[in-house]
Amino acid sequence: MQVEKFYYDNKIVRAFAYATVLWGIVGMLAGLWVAIQFYAPAASLNYAGTTFGRLRPIHTNAVIFAFVGNCMFTGIYYSLQRLCKARMFSDLLSKIHFWGWQSIIVLAALTLFFGMTTGKEYAELEWPIDILITVIWVVFGINMFGTIIKRRESHIYVAIWFYIATWITVAMLHIVNSIEIPVNLFKSYSWYAGVQDALVQWWYGHNAVAFFLTTPILGLMYYFLPKAANRPVYSYRLSIIHFWALIFLYIWAGPHHLLYTALPDWAQSLGVVFSVMLIAPSWGGMLNGLFTLRGAWDKVREEPVLKFFVVAITCYGMSTFEGPMLSLKNVNAIAHFTDWIIGHVHIGGLGWNGFMAFGMLYYLIPKMFNTPLYSKKLATNHFWLGTIGIVLYAIPLYWAGFTQSLMWKQFTEDGTLQYPNFLETVTQIIPMYITRSIGGTLYLIGAFFMVYNLYKTVKQGSFIADEAAEAAPLEKAHSHAKEYWHRVIERKPMQMLVISLIVVAIGGLIELIPTFLVKSNIPTIASVKPYTPLELQGRDIYIREGCYTCHSQMIRPFRDEVARYGEYSKAGEFVYDHPFQWGSKRTGPDLAREGGKNPDSWHFMHMFDPRQVSDKSIMPRYPWLYQNDLDISTTPGKIRAMQTLGVPYEKGYDQIANTALETQAKEISFGLKTDSKVKQLMTVEGISNPEKKEIVALIAYLQRIGKDIKGGQKSKTAQASLK
Amino acid sequence: MKKISRAIVFIVILFGSSIPAMAQGAKESSLNNPLALTLVVIIAALALIIAMLAYVVYGAAEIELKKHQQQKTEGKLTGTVLTIVALFISAIANAQDAAATPAPASSNIGGLSSSTFYILLAVLLVEVAAIFFLLFQLRFLLGLQKRKVEESLVGEAGAVEYKAAKPELNWWDKFNKFRPVEQEVDIDLGHNYDGIRELDNRLPPWWLYGFYITIIFGVVYLYRSQVSHAAPSPAEEYQAAVVKANAQLEEHLKDQKNKVDENTVVLLTDKSEIEKGKAIFAANCVACHGKLGEGIVGPNLTDDYWIHGGKINDLFKTIKYGYPEKSMQSWKEQLTPVQIAEVASFIKSLKGTNPPGAKEKQGELFVEGATTPASDSTGAVKADSTKPAK
Repeated sequence: MQVEKFYYDNKIVRAFAYATVLWGIVGMLAGLWVAIQFYAPAASLNYAGTTFGRLRPIHTNAVIFAFVGNCMFTGIYYSLQRLCKARMFSDLLSKIHFWGWQSIIVLAALTLFFGMTTGKEYAELEWPIDILITVIWVVFGINMFGTIIKRRESHIYVAIWFYIATWITVAMLHIVNSIEIPVNLFKSYSWYAGVQDALVQWWYGHNAVAFFLTTPILGLMYYFLPKAANRPVYSYRLSIIHFWALIFLYIWAGPHHLLYTALPDWAQSLGVVFSVMLIAPSWGGMLNGLFTLRGAWDKVREEPVLKFFVVAITCYGMSTFEGPMLSLKNVNAIAHFTDWIIGHVHIGGLGWNGFMAFGMLYYLIPKMFNTPLYSKKLATNHFWLGTIGIVLYAIPLYWAGFTQSLMWKQFTEDGTLQYPNFLETVTQIIPMYITRSIGGTLYLIGAFFMVYNLYKTVKQGSFIADEAAEAAPLEKAHSHAKEYWHRVIERKPMQMLVISLIVVAIGGLIELIPTFLVKSNIPTIASVKPYTPLELQGRDIYIREGCYTCHSQMIRPFRDEVARYGEYSKAGEFVYDHPFQWGSKRTGPDLAREGGKNPDSWHFMHMFDPRQVSDKSIMPRYPWLYQNDLDISTTPGKIRAMQTLGVPYEKGYDQIANTALETQAKEISFGLKTDSKVKQLMTVEGISNPEKKEIVALIAYLQRIGKDIKGGQKSKTAQASLK
Repeated sequence: MKKISRAIVFIVILFGSSIPAMAQGAKESSLNNPLALTLVVIIAALALIIAMLAYVVYGAAEIELKKHQQQKTEGKLTGTVLTIVALFISAIANAQDAAATPAPASSNIGGLSSSTFYILLAVLLVEVAAIFFLLFQLRFLLGLQKRKVEESLVGEAGAVEYKAAKPELNWWDKFNKFRPVEQEVDIDLGHNYDGIRELDNRLPPWWLYGFYITIIFGVVYLYRSQVSHAAPSPAEEYQAAVVKANAQLEEHLKDQKNKVDENTVVLLTDKSEIEKGKAIFAANCVACHGKLGEGIVGPNLTDDYWIHGGKINDLFKTIKYGYPEKSMQSWKEQLTPVQIAEVASFIKSLKGTNPPGAKEKQGELFVEGATTPASDSTGAVKADSTKPAK
C-alpha cells in the first residue's frame, strides 16, 4: 500500500486559538462590567451603549459565540484534520470561515452597542447578520464535510459525530428561530408572536446551550482528553448510546424554560420529562471522560491540562444534573427568574466551557509551537484561581436566588405579602452580588495568567505552520462483512448527517407544529387589541434598551405573583407581541401588568433617575431618552410589517399612523406638564417639547402593558379565585 | 441472572423509598411550602445516596461472603450487614410515610407546623446517621479486605510465585463493572484514531438503570399530568393555593384582634405597639412625610392640623384607603389592619414633637375630644366596614 505524505494546516488553528483568547478576555470583561452594575448602577456611565440592557447581550454573545465559538473551531480544525488524516478541504474556505466569523463578532458587538437588537435572548442579532451567520456556517459545513469525505481513515471517530450533529442542528435552530420580517436594514420583527415566539425562542435558546456549548465541546473532549492523558477511551458502547440519546432527547427540553408560563400545559410537561431523561445521556459523556482517566490519575496531579479537563467535566456533570432538577416544576417555581439560574449557567460556562477551552489551549499551543509550555506552575495557579473563582461566583448566586425567591413568596399571617416592596428583596442580596463579582474577577485574573503563559510559550517556540503527516489512502473496495452495526454508519458521514437531522428534528416538530396549528393552545381574548403607533414605537425602545434582561412580562399562576403583580398572564394576551418579551430574569419586578400602576409622571421621574424615586434602586438611568427625538419616519414601515404578520390594523392605517401617534404623545406630555416636579425637571433639563422625545413613547408602552384584560376579565377571574 | 434480579431488587427499593414521597407530594399541600419542599428534596436525595451506598455495601459484603465461604467460615457478617441495611431502608420509607401525615399545627417554623418540621428534621438526621453507618461498614469491609491481602502476602512471603493471575476488584470497580486495567488488552477494539484507542467496556450498571428509571419517571409523569390528570395543572395548583390561603386567613381572622377597622379602632398606647408603629413608619412613610414626621411632599404629622381629620379613626381610614387624588396612596394591600392601627397610633404620638424643618400647617385645627368638623366617616367606608381588609 502506498503511503501518502500531506500536511496539516496549523495556521488556521492558531488563528482561531488567538481569537478564542482575545474574545474570551473581551467577553469576561463585559461580564465583570455588568456584574458590577448590579451594586454600582453608576457603572453604566449613564451612557446608552454601556448600560446593562445593552451590555448584557454583548457579554452573552461574546462569551457564547465569540469565545466558545472560536474555541470550538480551534478544536475542530485541529482534531478533524488529524482524525481524518487529511488537511482541511480548502484553505480558502478556512480563511473565509475565520474572517467571516470574526467580522460577525465585530458587527454583533457594534450593533448591540447601538441598540440594534431583535430582543430575543441569545439571538439578538439583526437580520443582515443572521444571513451572514448562515452563509459562514454553510462555508464551515462545506469545509468540514469536504475534509471528512477526503479522509484517509475508514471510520469516523466519535468526536466527529458530535461535530456533525452540532453543525446540522445549529443550522436548523438558527434558521427557524431567525425568521423575521425586516422593517429596514437595522430593524426587524420576529415572524412569530407571543406564546409561539416564546416556544421557538426557547427551543432555540435551550438547544444553543445543547448544540453550541455542549455537543461540540464533548467532541473536543473525546479528542483532547485521551490525547492528553494517553489513555484509551473508556467505552465505545457508551459513546454510541449517549451520543444518540443526547441529541434525540435534548431538543425536546426547551419548554422547561417556560414552566408555569402561558405555554400550553402539555408542552410544559414534555419539557419536564425530557429534561429528566437527559440526566443519563449527559452523564454518559462525563463518565466516558472521567473513566478514560482510569490508570492516569497520577498524571492529573502533574499535568495542568488534565486538571482543567477534570474540573470541566465535573462541572459538566454538576450542571447537567442540576438542569433536570431545575426542570422539576416545584424546584422551578423557586428558582426561575432568580439568580439561581445565573449561577447554574455559569457553572456550565465558567466550569465546563471555560476550563475545556483553557485545557485545550494549554495542550495545543505548545504542540503547534513545538515547545513545552512556558510555565506549568503558572498554569496550575491559573487553574486554582479559576476554580476558586467559580466557587465564589456560583455559591453566592445560589444563595441569592434562593433567598430572594423565598422573600417573594413569603406571606404574613394576615394574607399580605411579607415583602411587598420588590426593592427590599433586591437590597437583601446585594452582598451576594458583590461576592459574585469578586469570583468573576479571580477567574478573569486567571485568564490573564494564561495569556501571559501562552505568549511566553509562543515566544520560546517555533511555529509549525504545516505539520507533516503520512497515511495510506482510503481503500475503496474493502470487505466490511461482519461489522458491528454502528461501524457501518461510521463509514458514511452523509448518512450520519441525515440521520442526525431526523433525530434532532423530531422533538422540535412535535412541540412546534401543534402550538402553531391547534387553535385551542392559544385561546383568543376579544379585548386584546393591537398597540397604538406610539406604543409600538415605545415597545421598540423597550426592546432596544434591553429592558427584558431585567424585567419579565410573565405573571405565573402563583398566589404571591398574583398578589404582587396582578392577574396571571394568559396565552391570548400576547398575540400581537412580535417578538414576545417574557424575559427570563427578574432583577427588577415583573411588568406584565405595569399599565396604569404608576402615573405617567412617576415613570418620567423614575426613568430619569430611579434613585431619586426609590432610594436604593439599582436600575440604570436613561437620560438619553429625554434628549433623543423619537424617529417617527419608521412608523408607516413598522405598521406595514405588522400588517404582514397578521396584526389587524385597518388598511391604509400606515398612512395615518403618525397622526394618531402625535395626538397620543401630546396627550401624555400635556398630562406630564401638570405635575410640578416633572415641570421642574423639564426646566432643569431644558426639555421644551417632551411630546417629541423617546421617553413619551416608552411611557405610552409601559402604561399599556397588560391593560387589555385588566378590566372586566380580571375582576371576574380574580373573584372566582377568591372563592 | 442473579445480577438482574439484584438490580430489580435495587430498583424496587429505590421506588419503595420514593413512592411514599410522591404520594405525599400529591396529597399534602404543605409541600407548597418551600422549606418543606427543600427538606423533602434533601431527604429524597439522601435516600438515593443511602440506596446507592447500600448497593455498594451489599456488593462489598457479597465479595466478603464469597471469600468466607471459600474459607468455609460462616458469612455471619454479611447477613448482619444486609439485615441492617434492609432495616434502614424500610425505616426510611416508613419515616417518610410518617412525615406525610400532617401534624396538628401548633406553632410555625418557616411556615411549617413545628411537629412536621421536626419530623422532617428527624428523618434527615436518621438518614445522615444511616449514611455514616454505611460508610463505616464500607470502611470496615474494605479494611477487612486489605488486611486479608496483607495477610496472604505475609503468608506467602517465602513462596516464589504470586497469585498474580486474578487482580482484586474493589467495590468501586464492581459498582461500575470495571475491568482491571491490566486486562484492557482483551477489550481493546483495535480502533486507532490519531493514536486514540477505544475500549469495549460495559455500560456502568447504575448508569443504565438510572436511565431506565428516568424513562419510567417520564412515562408516569406524562400519564399523570396529561392523560389521567391526577397531577394538577398550573391553573389548578393556583386555585388550590388560593383556597387554602383563604381558609387560613379566615381561621386567622377569627381572632378578634385582627378585625380592626376604621370604626372599631382605638388608640394604642402600649409602648411595644408604638415601637412597631414606628418601624412601619420608617419603612413606608418617611419618603413623603419625613423621618420625624415633619412632612416633605406629604403634610406635617406633628402639628395639630389635619387635612383628613385627626381622630385615630380618621387616620386609620386615611392610611387604609388613601386619598389618591392628593397622592396619599392606599395601604390596605401592604399593611394589615393591626399594622395600620399601630402606625396610626405612632403618628398620634408624634403630636407636639416640633421636629426641625417642619412643614407649614395644612388642613384644619383638630382638638382631641371635640366633634370632628368636616371629615365624613360614612359614605364609601360603610360598604366595606363589614369586610375585613385582606
